[in-house]
Amino acid sequence: MSEVLQKDTMLSYLASAVESNSPEIAIKEINERGIENLNTASFPTRKDEDWRFIDLRSISRNTFYSVDQVVTKDVGDISEHYLPEALNSRLVFVNGEYVDELSSMKDLPKGVIVGNLTDNAGSEVVKTHLGTITNYEDDVFASLNDAAFSDGAFIYLPKETVVESPIHILNIFTDADKAFYATPRLLFVGEMYSKATIIEEHYGLADNVYLNVPTTEFKLFAGAHVHHARIQRDSKQASHVSRPIATLEKNAEYHSYTICLGAKLFRNDPRVIQNAEEVDFTVDGLVLIDGDQIADTHSILDHRFPYGNSHQLHKVVVNDSAHSIFNGRILVAKDAQKIDSFQENRNLLLSDSGTVHTKPQLEIFADDVLCSHGATISQLQEDEVFYLHSRGLTEQKARELLVYAFALESIESMAVKSVEELLHKVVIEYTNRDNK
Amino acid sequence: MLEIINLHAKVEGEDIAILKGVNLTVNAGEIHAIMGPNGSGKSTLAKVVSGHPEYEVTEGQILFEGEDITELDADERAHLGLFLAFQYPVEVPGITNKTLLREAYNTIARANDREELDPLEFEDYIVSKLEVIEMKNEFLERSVNTGFSGGEKKKNEIFQMAVLNPVLSFLDETDSGLDIDALKVVSEGVNKIANEKNAIVMITHYQRLLNYIKPDFVHIMLDGKIIKSGDIALAEELEVSGYEQYERKLSVNGEAQ
Repeated sequence: MSEVLQKDTMLSYLASAVESNSPEIAIKEINERGIENLNTASFPTRKDEDWRFIDLRSISRNTFYSVDQVVTKDVGDISEHYLPEALNSRLVFVNGEYVDELSSMKDLPKGVIVGNLTDNAGSEVVKTHLGTITNYEDDVFASLNDAAFSDGAFIYLPKETVVESPIHILNIFTDADKAFYATPRLLFVGEMYSKATIIEEHYGLADNVYLNVPTTEFKLFAGAHVHHARIQRDSKQASHVSRPIATLEKNAEYHSYTICLGAKLFRNDPRVIQNAEEVDFTVDGLVLIDGDQIADTHSILDHRFPYGNSHQLHKVVVNDSAHSIFNGRILVAKDAQKIDSFQENRNLLLSDSGTVHTKPQLEIFADDVLCSHGATISQLQEDEVFYLHSRGLTEQKARELLVYAFALESIESMAVKSVEELLHKVVIEYTNRDNK
Repeated sequence: MLEIINLHAKVEGEDIAILKGVNLTVNAGEIHAIMGPNGSGKSTLAKVVSGHPEYEVTEGQILFEGEDITELDADERAHLGLFLAFQYPVEVPGITNKTLLREAYNTIARANDREELDPLEFEDYIVSKLEVIEMKNEFLERSVNTGFSGGEKKKNEIFQMAVLNPVLSFLDETDSGLDIDALKVVSEGVNKIANEKNAIVMITHYQRLLNYIKPDFVHIMLDGKIIKSGDIALAEELEVSGYEQYERKLSVNGEAQ
């Protein structure tokens, strides 16, 4: 596989040095496609409209090795990260590589597959769908994932099958002697009227530099219902560039909630494509950042057929000199009448030096639709703080409660109790960090 | 219980004095009414006594149970038993009445070495206080003041007062914006809470509230000072002749700006 990833040499280097060593044809084909795309793709700069607020030097000035070229620290006991609701429906990846001993799949309904992509690469489902849903052409990070991945999560639900326990995809990143890149991959295929909850988590055990470039592909056939929570708690020195995409057939429902807490630089480009009439989808986000963290969400809600409901609530809390960017594109094609789409971006600035950029981008070509959007940037209201303070709460506790209340709506959307409790704790830690 | 001595205060960072030498003594078991026209400083007095950071005390003292509280933070004053019913109660979306009150109640209990209540005990306790303002259990689960009507917001202030059981309460224009039914509920609530151990200072523009809550003392505040004190007769006189005679007197004396 690849050796070194560096700014100037990166693309030419990858073109020559990355080679697919997967014995699986389905994966090898995508690896080769990725390598080819890296040949023609260009590394984004601030002159590119979609990247103009992001300083990619934290990536470009570093040298990133492939995982097999670095010495990684042992993962140790990570059982505290297991979800009690998903003890028998968990896939664990360490630095992008599947770890069977830490994973657990038991008592799943008949025909359901939850496993490593490599082990299932021969199946017709994988051959048919892997790499066909993702559409981030010309994108260096998606191409890098294509080029270098071999392991990954594969979830398949047969027709009319409901998986009651949430499926936990736990991506753990360990300390290493050198900076590395990891290419987590997730393919979900839900047949007609199937139903599942997916918790995709990224967690950095140490404070090291790495580049995490996950690609996730969700294919929902008619009437399939999916709840997809994504929790990003990478190392505070890491960069995370995500390409999650879902395509929906008739009556499908896809609800995604992305929680961003970690990483020095987080870039997330969620896309949902409506492939038939009468779909319902959600692309919510909650961002809690401080220090010099950057979190950039560039989403596309792509309505291509009539009768669809979509919601997007993107909530952001910024402290210190952190920087949040939100660019929410809503596309409605000419014949996609009766679309009901609602977008809201709410930002809470806790410091004087934090920055928020927000841009709704509605491109509507149909004439009978209901599309609304709103964006607010505010600070904690001093009268709210004083009100709670005068009731006996310390000023710190008052602020903590108010930030918690701001985030609460997103947390309550998690649908898995232990995840809600975890996020509750994390929000308290975030607001309470100065008291430690 | 409360002794305010020659209190001067201004808005933090500005030079305009709002309180210009207030003197007021409140003892246990008493109900006081401070009346005055808009801009006389009566709401500011309530905020300064409760520790609002927007104001700076430039001279004078606030003594509570003999202790100088002039420099204490708002939460520390609440721990001692001070309470301010806000003129404009603040909406706090996402935090339920119950959550806020349990946090407040237990924080105050901790500060006073009293036993905290666990969620079940607190539930029983708080439900028992609902009758003070004639509200149903659902009231507890609603976000603090969020989407409340004006009357509900004022009732919520009195409800909080009933739950936190303060020693001294300032009610800042609690009557404003209330229809007659809500006014009755609110004032009956206050009357139920009032006893010989606590004290209440009502701040009001109109005499209307005093028909329902009988004050032992009435003070007239004008231009940052209490210029006259008396009993309920003073309020009745104001109702007839208004504040104008006092304002004129001030101008004659050359003290008004």
